[in-house]
Amino acid sequence: MMTIIQWILLGAALFSVGLYGVLTRRNAVLVLASVEIMLAAVNINLVAFDTYLSDPAYTGQIFALFVIALAAAEVGVGIAIILMIFRNRHSVDVDELDLMRY
Amino acid sequence: MTIGDWLTESANWAFLFLAIPTFVASVMVVSSRNVVRAVLYLVIALGGSAALFLMLGAEFVGWTVVLVYIGAVIILFLIGIMITRAPLTKSVDLSHPISAKAPAALLSVLLFGVVAWAVVESFGLETIPLPEEATRTGEIGLSIFTSWVIPFEVVSFVLLAALIGGIVLARKDEPAEVP
Amino acid sequence: MIDYHAILPEIILALTVLAVLVTDLVTKDKYYAAVVGMAGLFATMIPLLTLALCDDLAGCSGELPRVLFGGSYVVDQYAVVLKAVFVFAVFIALLLAVAYLESDRYYEGEFYFLLLAAALGGVVMSSSRDFLTLIIGLELVSGPGFLLAGWRKGDERSNEAALKFFIIGVTGLALLLMGVSLVYGITGTQLFAELAATPQAIVDEPVFALGLLFVLLGFTFKISAVPFHVWTPDVYEGAPTPVGAWLSVGSKTAGFVGLLTVCYLAFPQVSNLWGPALWLAAILSMTVGNFVAIQQTNVVRLLGYSSIAQAGFILAPFGAAAAAGADLQQAFAASVTYLVIYAVMNLGAFGVVIAVGTRLKTYELADWSGMYRWSAGLAILVGAFFLSLAGIPPLAGWFAKLAMFSATIAVGDIWGYSIAVVAALNTVVALVYYTKVVKTAFFDPVPDTIDVAALEGMDVAPPMQLALGITAVLVLVLGVFPGLVSTLAQYSSEVVTAAGL
Repeated sequence: MMTIIQWILLGAALFSVGLYGVLTRRNAVLVLASVEIMLAAVNINLVAFDTYLSDPAYTGQIFALFVIALAAAEVGVGIAIILMIFRNRHSVDVDELDLMRY
Repeated sequence: MTIGDWLTESANWAFLFLAIPTFVASVMVVSSRNVVRAVLYLVIALGGSAALFLMLGAEFVGWTVVLVYIGAVIILFLIGIMITRAPLTKSVDLSHPISAKAPAALLSVLLFGVVAWAVVESFGLETIPLPEEATRTGEIGLSIFTSWVIPFEVVSFVLLAALIGGIVLARKDEPAEVP
Repeated sequence: MIDYHAILPEIILALTVLAVLVTDLVTKDKYYAAVVGMAGLFATMIPLLTLALCDDLAGCSGELPRVLFGGSYVVDQYAVVLKAVFVFAVFIALLLAVAYLESDRYYEGEFYFLLLAAALGGVVMSSSRDFLTLIIGLELVSGPGFLLAGWRKGDERSNEAALKFFIIGVTGLALLLMGVSLVYGITGTQLFAELAATPQAIVDEPVFALGLLFVLLGFTFKISAVPFHVWTPDVYEGAPTPVGAWLSVGSKTAGFVGLLTVCYLAFPQVSNLWGPALWLAAILSMTVGNFVAIQQTNVVRLLGYSSIAQAGFILAPFGAAAAAGADLQQAFAASVTYLVIYAVMNLGAFGVVIAVGTRLKTYELADWSGMYRWSAGLAILVGAFFLSLAGIPPLAGWFAKLAMFSATIAVGDIWGYSIAVVAALNTVVALVYYTKVVKTAFFDPVPDTIDVAALEGMDVAPPMQLALGITAVLVLVLGVFPGLVSTLAQYSSEVVTAAGL
């Protein structure tokens, strides 16, 4: 028999990996990729719980569809911001975001 | 249920067959020293999650992931990499140095530990009933257009705003127009 | 059958957003896009009024709350009041932006489009009674915010603000969604009314508490409460200043709407879990925000830290009441009171900062010295808004503080008294830096670098005058007749329980 926890543990593992990426990546494009992994982890949770609950309204699956749409929008916004930054300073290193400090 | 029982179930082997590459690929996304490889590993991670959705009977979600993520989002990422002229070979400065990585790794492991403990505590060995047949896409559509009309309409504005704002920020202005 | 009257504000606003886009396309003078937007905002207020006053109008039937889509979208008094706050905030931000954008080469039409789209997000959020609608609305507020923060495309500070805000925002979104997925998994629903009725056996599960924790963390990012506040001053400073004004009021209000709605409507039975968390966030936010604000030399950064501190004050009554297990309704009314007054006075403060900034081309406090000599009007407005933020009668801010203190003291208990004491100490600290600004503007000598004669000749642009006039009048009126806003808050707090539970 398949257990629910194996799915949620996978989701949690992917989420933690994504968080690690957000915290450690310096290249802004890769920070964005790490966020995508976190959102993919959320989707795994949502769809697995949907099946687990045998939700008659398919709330989990529909939620996952909306998360995909949001993620796509965020990637569009993120890449646009990154391109703009690259145009001005020829670097996408988030460590160099230090013009403003206290 | 013992480990032995779990391993005799063929669906679990299918799960492992998909879950392990998904996990490994996502680890590579956050640790690879090559930008392009990191993004291509993202394809494997997302493709794995799409296959897992198919296994759960969520066909529409699975194929949407394939179309939207692998078809569109990854292309955006690659365009982003191309335009920002990231080095296509190995480079060391894609991540923070090890001194910054250690606390982040600790935090991530801690996060996973807490979630894992809570999930095991709450759900124990409850089983997930794999559906006999895939979710009918028509029912999902019906549900979206009866209960979720407002978020559906609003998300179109989110996408429109992202599109228009994205064009403004990313386009190259004529020299005279630069603010 | 859909109740079209109930969602008429959303429909009008959505059409306005599209109309602004089309106007931008067909006209040469981008000013018209702003005019269309403002007309649309006025038009949006009409159905809000008819919804609120439906009982007294001939031919209008149906009273609030109006429940749509099986309880996932509810138009109640609380929703109507907050929708009006969002519409008002965007209206003022538009007025502030018009002159600012005309002063240099910016993309104008798209700016107005994004600002109005954000207003639509806020309006939708106010009525959301499930996580899906709430999060989509929240993202429609945040998404344009990320883009607008980078609107000074050639300015690296603005670029930096956009990227920081974006990374923080999407990480917060991911945490929030993770929490929602866990809560959905254990309860099987994401509708607030059904979550509130979760049986005790499920509430005791660790996954439920963990999901709640993730949701709270996600919202803490959005309201810029400590410990997730460090991005705030950088973003306000780097972003074009009218955007800073909108982010400090609109975007923050959106976070509060989400947090208060979720805590109050979805998780009332576990107030012993989220109460202490909010209580702690409130205390840390006001203390950290105020003590760092004292050291600021840049007025925009000062307002950034002050907005962190004000977020603490807004949270204080609600957090204390929940932690102590006291009646939430009065505390909720106090938090809404504070939020409404904060919105008015902070928009005014940002407005006057922009007005001065467009003349001086700098936001350093030292250059404000002796403002009274070259513009008595602006100096008086500085006095009005900053002293209101400090909480000095008869300006509106005093009533916000009074409502906050009386609500926390009414909670009693160690939770209520302790936070009241911390808030009192913080009010004194805040007084120091707010009065420092006012003192600089009035009494300090004009620095040699400033050409008084040139500054005297400059006028404040008419839209800016209008924005400053509206906010100044409101700050004074709400301070002298505080009954107006307390009635509003009471009005909004009474029905929210009836509709939600």
